[in-house]
Amino acid sequence: MRRNTSAITKTAAIIIAIIIIVAGVGGFLYWWTRLGPAAPRKIKIAVVSDIGGRGDLSFNDMAFKGGEEAERDFGVEMIELISKTEADYVPNLETAAKDPDVKLIVGVGFLLSDALVKVAMKYPDKNFAGIDTYAQSIVKDKYPDKYPLPNLMDIKFEEHKGSALVGAIGCLLAAYYNEKGGNYPYIGGVFGIEIPVLWKFEIGYKWGCDWALKWYEKKFGHKAPIIGEDSRYGSGPNWKDGMYCPPETPGKCWYKGRVLWTYTGTFSDITKGYEAAKPMYAKGAIAVYNIAGPLGLGINRAVKEIAEAKGLEMGPPFWIGVDADQDWINPGFVIVSMIKRVDRGVYYATKLTIEGKFREAVKKYEGVMTLGIGTKILGIPMEGISASTLKDLDEFVKMGINAEKLTGKKVLPMPPEEIKAKVKKMRESVAPWIWEAAKELEEKIRKGEVEVPCVFTKEKIDYWRKILG
Amino acid sequence: MTSAAVQGVKRLFQKLKRPLLESLLAIIIGLIIGAILMAIFGYDPIAAYSALLIGSLGSFDGICESLANATPLMLTGLTFAIGVKSGYFNVGAEGQAYLGAIGAIMIGSTIHLPYGVHLAIATLFAMLMGALWSLPVSALKAWRGVHEVVSTIMLNWIALFFVRYLIEYHFYEPGRAERAMPVLPTARYQVLGASLTTVIFVALAFMLFAYFLLWRTTLGYELRLTGSNPEAARYIGINSTRVIFLNFFLGGLAAGLAGATQVLGRPPAWTIYKTLGNVMNLGFDGIGAALIGRNHPIGIIFASILLGVLSYGAKFMMYLGVDPDLARAINGAIIIALSLPELYRIIRRLIVGRGAE
Repeated sequence: MRRNTSAITKTAAIIIAIIIIVAGVGGFLYWWTRLGPAAPRKIKIAVVSDIGGRGDLSFNDMAFKGGEEAERDFGVEMIELISKTEADYVPNLETAAKDPDVKLIVGVGFLLSDALVKVAMKYPDKNFAGIDTYAQSIVKDKYPDKYPLPNLMDIKFEEHKGSALVGAIGCLLAAYYNEKGGNYPYIGGVFGIEIPVLWKFEIGYKWGCDWALKWYEKKFGHKAPIIGEDSRYGSGPNWKDGMYCPPETPGKCWYKGRVLWTYTGTFSDITKGYEAAKPMYAKGAIAVYNIAGPLGLGINRAVKEIAEAKGLEMGPPFWIGVDADQDWINPGFVIVSMIKRVDRGVYYATKLTIEGKFREAVKKYEGVMTLGIGTKILGIPMEGISASTLKDLDEFVKMGINAEKLTGKKVLPMPPEEIKAKVKKMRESVAPWIWEAAKELEEKIRKGEVEVPCVFTKEKIDYWRKILG
Repeated sequence: MTSAAVQGVKRLFQKLKRPLLESLLAIIIGLIIGAILMAIFGYDPIAAYSALLIGSLGSFDGICESLANATPLMLTGLTFAIGVKSGYFNVGAEGQAYLGAIGAIMIGSTIHLPYGVHLAIATLFAMLMGALWSLPVSALKAWRGVHEVVSTIMLNWIALFFVRYLIEYHFYEPGRAERAMPVLPTARYQVLGASLTTVIFVALAFMLFAYFLLWRTTLGYELRLTGSNPEAARYIGINSTRVIFLNFFLGGLAAGLAGATQVLGRPPAWTIYKTLGNVMNLGFDGIGAALIGRNHPIGIIFASILLGVLSYGAKFMMYLGVDPDLARAINGAIIIALSLPELYRIIRRLIVGRGAE
């Protein structure tokens, strides 16, 4: 018995030794043959994802898409580093910073802010950019003598302008369906935790609605039915024909109270999104804007319920997507999305790095590069906000197909062609002047003819809530 | 004198020869499987492995980061090992680590105390929270005969959602929706380099304490005897209820400490995220560490360091373009190969044990 096992062990050992030797020699030869003449080294950029990773159909996928565009246009090589947990952020950024060929390291998403500060301070000769981060304000708080770090750039987006675009679309949608005999006195907004960043969305959205109803009045010579004229929004000394004319803005009147809004106090509890959206639709909101990330799925649930009960193929009711193009989530029921062009952020950060202007830009803008509508960086137009189009949908559907391949899970709710057909049909089913108005507003913002209020202080939010409701 | 020492070393070597050889063989087999996997998917195995080693061991920072990864694993590994030594299959370290982490936040970020005292109390409280989470397991086992695998797995899920709830509604950082309040500077272990802190010494001390307890005290003997021969243990009058409680409680302390290491001893966050991403899977990875380390505290220390090196080094493989999931699969292959001998022993004992009954 004993002898037997030892014999087996011996045989096994010999076999394994042979395997090792063969594998070793083979591996060495393989490695040897690959050592060709050294090619000229490419400049590399590294993109570090947050925990969403590839296939999130949002920030991360867009960032990688921007990197791919930079590869194509500037001949750089992109390295992708996926963070599986929050503990991966610093090691991933550092791994990239250690490579001598890497010139720019991009961290995707505000979760990477602290990590970016830490690593950017340790590697002063590398450029770091963060998408939607607030790394420089951490530097300002913690290391005021080093502020702003010369090699660190936060890339931010003008969410207020994008929100104004979708707010305008929402209220014109209500006007259009009311013309056809509907009863839609409101649009809605479901927000997350009440932090100053979200005030930009809130006031931009309300302002966009006001702009659109005024546009309608001018174009058609009469007020928009119900949402433009009704007396339900308020009455009293400062009210005139359904508009509010406060003493703060003499001679100017506003479409106050057209937006139903709720701060749910969470960015993760999807049920709360549903609970907030449901009464809005019951009160006659034609569309609800999702400003709480995953809570959009809760809004979608409320819409689905109504659609099933009424047997609808297409909205109204609608909802409005945020951050990425979310039109594909429930085709026919997402009228438009407010997109932060994360891809452009990565692209422009690469462009600045390649042209050697990255640090100049950091210095000039105190470490924050804001991309929006009509924005210029060092005199060059660089934009990063838009309302979703059918072309965007194509790109996101493509991302969805890739994500399905990558994860093996079903991502898209229906075949790609069907999604595109449904969204196209939905967009064509509403009056073309709605889309034209949004274009016009975008152009006016770009040219500086109108200014969307950008609200991030308590005083300003109180002021604007008084005017717009 | 010298000859006695030589004898001792010789004996030790004799004792360790077989497990060491087995482990070495297992590492090599694991590496080869990993290389084959990479070759199949068109990556260069040698470049990838050298990136792994240079990345994780080629610099001071790399070594620190690898050790920081190893720290919680040795503790959760210990939880599993104490269970096996006492004859139980304790997979509850995962949830107990979550409780430890939130326990560390409770004391670390809400109470003001001088340095040292604050740190000590936060650490102890975290350990107790972990141990507290083990009590239902012991109670169900001792008085209702519920199998510990069932109860620990269920409690892991309860812990996950309970801790998420606590973060979201009671301990969130104002203005930062994604995580709990970081612990105050008075409740942070000193940073040694990269994200390694002095908490590793606390972990090592606990490992030695466990070793001493298991092999040098009566209590430890009772535990081990119950594990290796429950009939004999009952015959000589060992209180099995006490053994159950003691085993799971000790395991809970270790797992709670593992959770605390990620909060009180891991920059830059010094907190837990609402996803629990930075404490997630510590318990399950610890099982790997225990199996590789032959369920022996000292063995587990080395096994955890190996796992730390692998997990940190995997980032450098990823950097070469190896798909992150493949990098994890390669690590998985190595870990499986390494744990096979011990796993085989445990399973055989289970089967033989059944047969004898």
